[in-house]
Amino acid sequence: MASDGAAATPAKASPKKANLLDPHSIKHLLDETISDVVKSKGYAEDTRLGNWKLAIGAAVIAIALLAQFYPKKFPQNREFLLGCIALYVVLNVVLLILSYTKEKDAIMFTHPPAGSFNSTGLVISSKLPRFSDMYTITIASADPQSISANKPVHFTKSVTKWFTKEGVLVEGLFWKDVERLIDDYNTERKGK
Amino acid sequence: MGFIGDTIESIRSMQVRQVLAQIISLGMIVTSALIIWKGLIVVTGSESPVVVVLSGSMEPGFKRGDILFLHMSKDPIRTGEIVVFNVDGREIPIVHRVIKVHERQESAEVDILTKGDNNFGDDRLLYAHGQLWLQQHHIMGRAVGFLPYVGWVTIIMTEKPIIKYLLIGALGLLVITSKE
Repeated sequence: MASDGAAATPAKASPKKANLLDPHSIKHLLDETISDVVKSKGYAEDTRLGNWKLAIGAAVIAIALLAQFYPKKFPQNREFLLGCIALYVVLNVVLLILSYTKEKDAIMFTHPPAGSFNSTGLVISSKLPRFSDMYTITIASADPQSISANKPVHFTKSVTKWFTKEGVLVEGLFWKDVERLIDDYNTERKGK
Repeated sequence: MGFIGDTIESIRSMQVRQVLAQIISLGMIVTSALIIWKGLIVVTGSESPVVVVLSGSMEPGFKRGDILFLHMSKDPIRTGEIVVFNVDGREIPIVHRVIKVHERQESAEVDILTKGDNNFGDDRLLYAHGQLWLQQHHIMGRAVGFLPYVGWVTIIMTEKPIIKYLLIGALGLLVITSKE
């Protein structure tokens, strides 16, 4: 495959721009672009974890509204309130555990590409420490125990490489870097 | 036409799931406030764990704008305690001091008379028509602590609704315009 990143860059109506004084904005824009690159390589996004989090969040809200509008006054509803509060706390703890054990820094989960022998998708993580300009991308297998899992690959670069002075993202350079990382991950298997 | 095209493009690029996640995050923040309040109710055993002093009837101890923390337990009501009570036909609970307590030896019934420290007469004028004493079920809690001045925000928002709506609008704008 030709390594010319410009050919793979999709034509955009307007360039992506970030507020260079806002690290969250920079990270958010880079994460979004990584999602675009991964999808363009044939990986479909796996939204199961996100759906679970949305469902638990909705359940938490429902429990609180139930406690608020239960048609009895205190203290007749004391036991009901205790139950709602306990359930609320439990569900929040579950959400927290999901975030820390399953998600961590992950910005995207994917299914295996169609037609591939690989049976596991990818987990793409990114990290941009506070007050630092070094951005780290990691690609790992969604199921490290699987026989078809490859070793995780990552790279770290300064975000200054991808942004102009006005804050416009130079997508060609960034796409090239991310695509090379994905190719490194897939090539690892051939080397075994 | 370029502006309209840009607007349509930005609307189309908005992902439904991201918007949904944002709405749920906001909902969880609001409902956490509700649940904390319910938790306070259960812990203190009082229907209104926190009340704002609205009048000067308990000066100099409590001034208008103070916040009172209440607690309700099974201990008997005693003369000199500051209690919060509900009167039938009145929406706002009243915080006054107990000045007389009558107990009956043969039953658990108790008759209570209250008075504001800064008032000339007792509270019989405040009770429901024809009522001369409070009973146990009128008492919502007794005061166990207070914070001065903090309640002024509530009073201002209650008396000038326009300020309340301005505040809510400003907070809403803040949430809408902030990014993740």
